[in-house]
Amino acid sequence: MPLTPETLPRHELNGLPVRVVESDDASREGLEGRVVIETTNTLSVEVRENGESRVVMVPKSGSTFEFAITDDAADLEKGSGTASKLADTQPAAADESSAPADRAGGDAASCRGDDPSRDRHHAAGEGVAYVTVDGLRLLSRPARRTETNGDSPWQ
Amino acid sequence: MDVAAERIERLHDLARAAAADDEHDRARYYVRLARRVAERNRLTLPRTFRRFICDRCDAYLRPGRNARVRLQDGHVVITCDCGAHTRYPYGDQ
Repeated sequence: MPLTPETLPRHELNGLPVRVVESDDASREGLEGRVVIETTNTLSVEVRENGESRVVMVPKSGSTFEFAITDDAADLEKGSGTASKLADTQPAAADESSAPADRAGGDAASCRGDDPSRDRHHAAGEGVAYVTVDGLRLLSRPARRTETNGDSPWQ
Repeated sequence: MDVAAERIERLHDLARAAAADDEHDRARYYVRLARRVAERNRLTLPRTFRRFICDRCDAYLRPGRNARVRLQDGHVVITCDCGAHTRYPYGDQ
């Protein structure tokens, strides 16, 4: 199963371009960068600005993340500054996701089943999809997120 | 291919990129995470991945930079900077 908006909460987050859409701590809102380290409760985001990079630790709970997914994972290794810029040009779409009332209405068609209240994606050209995920969905040990509990006949 | 196998592949790329940037601790973190994912999902790491990591200190090995590769009689010996040796055979048809 490739990395899609549906599989993202179970897939590898390290290396993905990410933007902090909303956070309990206002100073962390709008951070853009790449996930470099994941722990049970936090994501460390490497922010590159003016040629220097710093790593900011963002707690998963109380934050909403917007991940950018491109078609091939190999592409993720290279810099995708343009993709992040695209996200910036759509502040309206990001704001919508914070209003729960809007979710059930017009955007239901753009959701592919799964969990419409939490998991939204809006496509924006050049094969890049942006997936907005509530940090609470990612609260798990990094190696254990992949596992699916309860669908084994032996349990 | 399921999610776990893909994660391992992505972690391989990330570890290699981190090691190339001399971020060896970060590469080590990716290697350890890949090992843990493989263990939890009962997978073996791909051979190309296994041959480039140190069994003892989990470093991602870059021959000539942090690993020595020597050919001996019928086997390859890779020595990590931490001192651990790995051996594997070659040329036995």
